[in-house]
Amino acid sequence: MNFVIKNLSKSFDKKEVLRNIDFTFESGKIYGLLGRNGAGKTTLFNCLNRDLKSDGGSFYLETDGVKREVLADDIGYVLSTPTVPEFLTGRELLKFFVDIHGDRIGQPKPLDEYFDDMKIAAEDRDRLLKDYSHGMKNKMQMLVNIISRPNILLLDEPLTSLDVVVAEEMKQLLRTIKDNRITIFSTHLLDLALDLCDEIVLLSHGELELVDKADLDSGEFKEKIIEALKEEYDG
Amino acid sequence: MVNTFKKSFALKNTYRANTILYAIKQIPLIKKLLPDNPYKVKGVKTFANIIAIIWECGDAFFGKLLYFIMLSLSAVNLFKTGSSSGVFLHMLVLLTLVGGLLNTDMFEPSRDKYYAIFSLKFDAKKYAVSNYFYELAKFAAAFTLFGIIFGMLSGLKLWQCLLIPLFVTGVKICAAAFTLIYYESAGKAPAQTVFGKLRWLIALLLVAAAYGLPALGLVIPQYISIAVMAVFIVLGAVFARKIIKFNNYREIYCDILNESVIDKNAVNIIKEQSYKSISTDGTIESSKKGFEYLNELFIRRHKKILWSASKKTALICAAVFAALIIAVIVVPEGKEIANKFLVSSLPWLLIIMYAINRGTGFTRALFINCDHSLLTYSFYKTPGHILKLFKIRLKEIIKINLLPAAVVGAGLEILLILSGGTDDFVNYAVVVIAPVALSIFFSVHYLTIYYLLQPYNAGTEIKSGMYQVIMYITYMVCYIMMQIKIPTLYFGLAAIAFCILYCIIAGVLVYKFAPRTFRIRA
Repeated sequence: MNFVIKNLSKSFDKKEVLRNIDFTFESGKIYGLLGRNGAGKTTLFNCLNRDLKSDGGSFYLETDGVKREVLADDIGYVLSTPTVPEFLTGRELLKFFVDIHGDRIGQPKPLDEYFDDMKIAAEDRDRLLKDYSHGMKNKMQMLVNIISRPNILLLDEPLTSLDVVVAEEMKQLLRTIKDNRITIFSTHLLDLALDLCDEIVLLSHGELELVDKADLDSGEFKEKIIEALKEEYDG
Repeated sequence: MVNTFKKSFALKNTYRANTILYAIKQIPLIKKLLPDNPYKVKGVKTFANIIAIIWECGDAFFGKLLYFIMLSLSAVNLFKTGSSSGVFLHMLVLLTLVGGLLNTDMFEPSRDKYYAIFSLKFDAKKYAVSNYFYELAKFAAAFTLFGIIFGMLSGLKLWQCLLIPLFVTGVKICAAAFTLIYYESAGKAPAQTVFGKLRWLIALLLVAAAYGLPALGLVIPQYISIAVMAVFIVLGAVFARKIIKFNNYREIYCDILNESVIDKNAVNIIKEQSYKSISTDGTIESSKKGFEYLNELFIRRHKKILWSASKKTALICAAVFAALIIAVIVVPEGKEIANKFLVSSLPWLLIIMYAINRGTGFTRALFINCDHSLLTYSFYKTPGHILKLFKIRLKEIIKINLLPAAVVGAGLEILLILSGGTDDFVNYAVVVIAPVALSIFFSVHYLTIYYLLQPYNAGTEIKSGMYQVIMYITYMVCYIMMQIKIPTLYFGLAAIAFCILYCIIAGVLVYKFAPRTFRIRA
């Protein structure tokens, strides 16, 4: 399965943020979307999640040459600032998601198993989400997003504000769930991208560009990426 | 000192000019006249600066003009006892004391103070003192002008009028000096202590005395008013030194201007209140599934602002009607007045139903505590799910609002019967059905425009001008209807017909457009 973006564009006032983006993402890989602050990473995600109307272009899923529209259920979107309904407990939110996505999930596991997988402590599961810490909200958001097994998982700077332990847990989790789906992970932390991702994609000048690792060692590769990103500023 | 003042004034002006430009950029159509980045275009900036200065002058004079007009009208028209100059001074003295208690501009936390003192490192003392005396000068100027005009109109002598600006500044200086002295001895500003609440009580008593005593025929004798004014003028002259000599302005500002000033804008306060309104009662649960489950938990956890509030409103309505019913029974003339009102002034009902509807509170809680987060999940935005939840919520909001509406209907019915009834029997049905219909109308109205315009952005700020315009029009229509007298029968039937029609149209619109419009605003 491939996720194909064709000629996607978006401008704000006169500023062209996304410029006819053409790109094909392959299933089973984690893509690190690198871009400088303000390069348009979140805008791209918002367009793909249809929170923003794009000015032009399209995107679709393609399996063995057969194209189909990207449906709402195909996309999981984890925002940099976790947003969870404050009036529910962790368990209630999970139950709600399991209810709603019943047909996709099939036979759900007992709820506590999901919590165990996410390493959310037993005493926290029945607390209101408004009293969760930032990191815990983030975990919940990740959990409900992967529970429906979306084909495309968009992660907007998800690890930036997590403590080292949780961040490591999350990385591990992302590696275990990457099969059969496209994971796109935006960040401006180069080392994180190199550590976690199978491919590095640069968003600069409003365009997506795959960085070919070829035979470079990691130091040279880093240099190459930084040079490419700098150009944007100079150009 | 002068330099500090000039710079801080320029800062405030820039802040204001940018606010004006920002506000203009929010108005549909007009915003197209502005360039993309108006903040850097010189002509536009000059224009905004001029408006900012006009604003400053208006701020100095306009409010005071209204104050004096109100004062004179009250003194001349409302209270016939004593000389109008006596009443004028009576009110002026008491209301000025109220102003002194409540309006301590120097110690109000505000953003421009924060920017000046902490971000831009102005000298706190120079900043505070120069701005304080500038504010006083503005006060004195306005009070001299209007004091003379309105004072002489009310029959005061010129020298008495000239005391007014001195008295007003004297009171202000005393209030500020008191705060500083209190701070020196107690280590905190009085507004942060029990005095902060106490002063509201005292102010309330003073306002009551200002208006209430003349209404009862009691007025402070003019010579005592003059004496009080003289005392404050002397005290003001003495305490002005305190304000100039005081050295710990920075500490005071550290106390009152922490990060919370920047954080605690109106939006964050609303958000905090919304989170607080969530019940932490551990026994709340639901046995339903899916969206019904979500909705039931939402309603139960927001009982305080939904059902409890609605029950409270119903109780208050019941109490008011009980009082009216007793009045109609006890007072013979009451019957006629009530009956006449009931058969000719039912449009009043609109503003009452508007006031007791929980619709805006419901939609705000819906967004901030629920939709704000769930709208980021794509399944939540699929047309089927949007409409499903809309239906569930509509039922809920109608139920919540129906309770007080039923009480109002029953109250009107009993009043109508006890006050002598009506020849047209349809009226008996109309006074019960109309409040119920209007209640359903408001419920549908608020939820529909919430779904069609979804006015909030991710920061839970209202970003839709259209939404605000509709809210305002809703209020204005209710207000204007209050003034209209038409027979209850016509109004009632028209209202019921309108409500039914509106519900149908709203339903169609939501089905057609909500799947596209129910999004978080960019």
